[in-house]
Amino acid sequence: MMSLTLPELFDINTTVGHWPFRKIPHQTPGALRQVLEKAGIRGAAVANTHGLFYKNCHDANLELAVWLAPHGEFFSGVATLNPLYAAWERDLRACREELGFCAMRLVPQYHGYELGCREAVAMAQAATELSLPLLVPHRVVDVRQRHGFDTERTIGIDEIGALCAAVPQARVIATEANFSGRALIDAEGGFRYPGLYLESSRVDLGSFPEAVAAERILFGTGAPFKHLQPAILKLEIAALESPSRERIGRRNGRELLGFS
Amino acid sequence: MQAEMNEWQQAGRIDVHNHVGGEGGIGRLGGELDRRRAEGLLARAEKLDIDFLCVSAPLTTDSPTPDEVRRVNDVVLQAMELSDRFLGFCFLNPGYAREALEEMERCIVDGGMVGVKLYHQYFVCDPVQAPMMERAAELQAPVLMHAGKVTDAATRARQPRLSNAVHFVKAGEMFPDTQLIQGHIGGGGDWEWNLRVLENCPNNVYIDTSGSVIDAGIVDRTVATLGVERVLFATDGILEEGVGKVLEADLDEVDRARILAGNARDILTRRNG
Repeated sequence: MMSLTLPELFDINTTVGHWPFRKIPHQTPGALRQVLEKAGIRGAAVANTHGLFYKNCHDANLELAVWLAPHGEFFSGVATLNPLYAAWERDLRACREELGFCAMRLVPQYHGYELGCREAVAMAQAATELSLPLLVPHRVVDVRQRHGFDTERTIGIDEIGALCAAVPQARVIATEANFSGRALIDAEGGFRYPGLYLESSRVDLGSFPEAVAAERILFGTGAPFKHLQPAILKLEIAALESPSRERIGRRNGRELLGFS
Repeated sequence: MQAEMNEWQQAGRIDVHNHVGGEGGIGRLGGELDRRRAEGLLARAEKLDIDFLCVSAPLTTDSPTPDEVRRVNDVVLQAMELSDRFLGFCFLNPGYAREALEEMERCIVDGGMVGVKLYHQYFVCDPVQAPMMERAAELQAPVLMHAGKVTDAATRARQPRLSNAVHFVKAGEMFPDTQLIQGHIGGGGDWEWNLRVLENCPNNVYIDTSGSVIDAGIVDRTVATLGVERVLFATDGILEEGVGKVLEADLDEVDRARILAGNARDILTRRNG
């Protein structure tokens, strides 16, 4: 196998916490960190799965902060908030200023709203003013195998693109999405959505020109829901120059979260 | 055949479920082999050390005619001419029993293909499958079928006769001398349910690991259910996912080698005729 030296990797797409519909291994920060480090991943953005299900989802952020405290700088906390729920403005500020979280996750398919609604746009604007990039999962699990109580709804490029258009300064990272270059690059070769980025685990890297991939794609695995090796193999064998591989594998994620 | 067997003996990775297509695209009728796409597949497979790819060109329509079936199998024969790394599986519509048997003669006995590919035109345990299954047993040609236990309404509506593990257990009992391969445990759908059903399946039922679903533990659980001897590495064209989940599974290297190539080798070298 073509074997290239990968950069030290930063994973933009991990979670901790209990998922009620399937027994997932490595649900705690300690266990997750072990498998990530074993795979050569040296840092990760992490959200709390409980934030999908708690009505008062800020409790999930408070939980997450406690769980992450022993892990120093390895994990970067990602807030989960619901723009339809009370007090989100205070919770958002607390996540940034008190808990030190580096990004915010919007999960409209679990919280019952459209990304283009007034409340979601307001939250996206507020997060952007706090320099928080937004993570939006296209899906959490493959809906073809969903539990009867789980959502069938996925968040498509049109809905995510509408949010990008409504909040042009926002940096939006679509995770678990398989949007192709054909859908995202216009006739002139430009990226359709200036504020949009893509997490890599389901992306066809070859469908993007290298320059676009190097700028717009961030390495992610979807751990612990998914095996890590497929995402690592994708990056390892992709036809990319080393600087591009390094940007995708580490720099893009860290820069978007505000790390040098 | 002996030369092929010698090459298979050396193979480190045999992908038992992949596809080629004509110029109309994979899963569709149209034209000659899309050589550029086939060559691209070979190049991508080489990067991942996949030595052989078992390929078919199934149709997803409700009742492909014998002529349509012949045309897509011609595409597979063209792929086999392009590269001996392609091992052909002939697509059949068992609803045309006589023609299906004739196509097996053309493609497997005369054409050098190594197996049969079925899609969702009939459940795998439908009695209409019997003549083809019996001939496959005579030829010791494995029968691979597209399968899954989907839970979303849209997929169920599109594939009302999609076989799942219940159908495969029944088919294994109906056709005890035929090697049946349930396609893609990771192809979308409730794989845990499928595995629970397969806990009591006949020994002639195998499963391949392909599909875009790379849920943590999926290969480990599949091995725990069927035993390492009946789990076959495959990608269904989704190469990095297919290779990565087997590499990451909690297996010793002997078992991993069995899944990556050894089990496929055992099946393919049983073929006669």
